[in-house]
Amino acid sequence: MKQHLGRQAGVQTVEVSLLDGKVDVIPKEDGQIDPAQLLKATHDSGVTAAEMDITARGKIVKDSSGSLALQVEPNRSFAFAPNELSKGLESLAGTQTVVTVRGQLYKKPAGKKKADLSAPLKLLILEVQKKE
Amino acid sequence: MNTGRRVALLVLLGSIVVVPVARAQVKHIEMRVEGMT
Repeated sequence: MKQHLGRQAGVQTVEVSLLDGKVDVIPKEDGQIDPAQLLKATHDSGVTAAEMDITARGKIVKDSSGSLALQVEPNRSFAFAPNELSKGLESLAGTQTVVTVRGQLYKKPAGKKKADLSAPLKLLILEVQKKE
Repeated sequence: MNTGRRVALLVLLGSIVVVPVARAQVKHIEMRVEGMT
């Protein structure tokens, strides 16, 4: 799996801990990394992703449907799953403020053996680390 | 070096230093997986 993930676009290093089933991915700075593609690659390598957390920096924007999102590249943004922390960032939508957040992008639905990877990923903010 | 040139140089150097720091990007991804042997 380490080699499989390491071959994905935008991946710099992959560290796998067999003991606790943790996989750490350090992206390159080229902005090519696609978390959805990583999830698919994980699945293709024969293991099940139970959870994916990301730390990302970007601007707060409102997408076409009016929901808040974190824009990390001109063509890539992560829509927020609404919670108290995302509400707190609403006032920054459309501004030049760059925020760093840690959040959960994917969690395997409870009770389901097979993961549904076709559903759009939503970022549930767990922590707002920085506002610049 | 005249003042105008100094200011221009400072702005140029400042932009080189500041832009990468403020760059938007995915910094880290952590996954918990099941069924790994």
